[in-house]
Amino acid sequence: MNPAALHKPGDTFSIRRGPITTTQLVMYAGASGDFNRIHYDHPFAVQAGLGGVLAHGMLTMAFAASCAVEAFGQASRISRIDARFTSPVRVGDVVEVTATMMERDAPGGPIEATLTAEVDGRVVLRGVVEVEGSMS
Amino acid sequence: MSDRAEIDRTLIGSSAASFTVEVEKGAIRRFAEAVGDPAQIYFDEAFARSLGYAGIVAPPTFPTTFRPHSKPAWIRGLDEGRFLAGEQGFRYWRPIVAGDRLECALRLTDVQDKRSSKGSMELIIQDLVITSPAGDMVCVNRRVVIYRGLTTTLAQEASS
Repeated sequence: MNPAALHKPGDTFSIRRGPITTTQLVMYAGASGDFNRIHYDHPFAVQAGLGGVLAHGMLTMAFAASCAVEAFGQASRISRIDARFTSPVRVGDVVEVTATMMERDAPGGPIEATLTAEVDGRVVLRGVVEVEGSMS
Repeated sequence: MSDRAEIDRTLIGSSAASFTVEVEKGAIRRFAEAVGDPAQIYFDEAFARSLGYAGIVAPPTFPTTFRPHSKPAWIRGLDEGRFLAGEQGFRYWRPIVAGDRLECALRLTDVQDKRSSKGSMELIIQDLVITSPAGDMVCVNRRVVIYRGLTTTLAQEASS
């Protein structure tokens, strides 16, 4: 019903999200409780030297998590997900996240995939996800 | 002009007042909708249970919504326009599901100075430790926030 898309090292799976709208940033602010004005108040963001509103980094990480869950299947249990934000994401951006299954360190060890989010080929997030289980 | 440290280092190791979170289906649904994630485990309890979960599942980054009732002392008075997302990490001992009652403690783990060609910044490293009422570990969410120095421009912006 929710088959995993990643089975062996090197397998990749991608999702696309966006274009990001200001409405989505307001929805995310409300859902997450992050009401920093740099994410929806354009004049404030310009005055802060940001050139306009920025998407919440955690919205991009949520996209990465969506990709990870879909890549490994909804039955998989995520034991770790880490991300570093490498470049800003703005309104209008389309974010593409790719999960790439890594070589397993040892049989029975955790299953890991790298996560990379890009906007027009510019990397905006790099991360890694680890799931429990004994996928063959 | 060089920027100087603005975050009180004496607060390293201290924690904000702990708080309790009741994980609600509606909050999970609104979060999943806001991030545009249609996965059934976030919306359909029977489906989530069929996969062995104890209820509707919270998305992996959902603990970012767990916030202290008031700003932690180390953030108070800082300029919100100078915060940027640095890193985040979530380590899970078990999935978080709707109906969970969770104890949360947010600790200031470290503050580090960083310099780049764009200027100076401080990294605020915080750990949100999430446990069950019985004290079992559920999740740790590490949040690394960048606080830009006054003269520091937007770092890592690609030229366009």
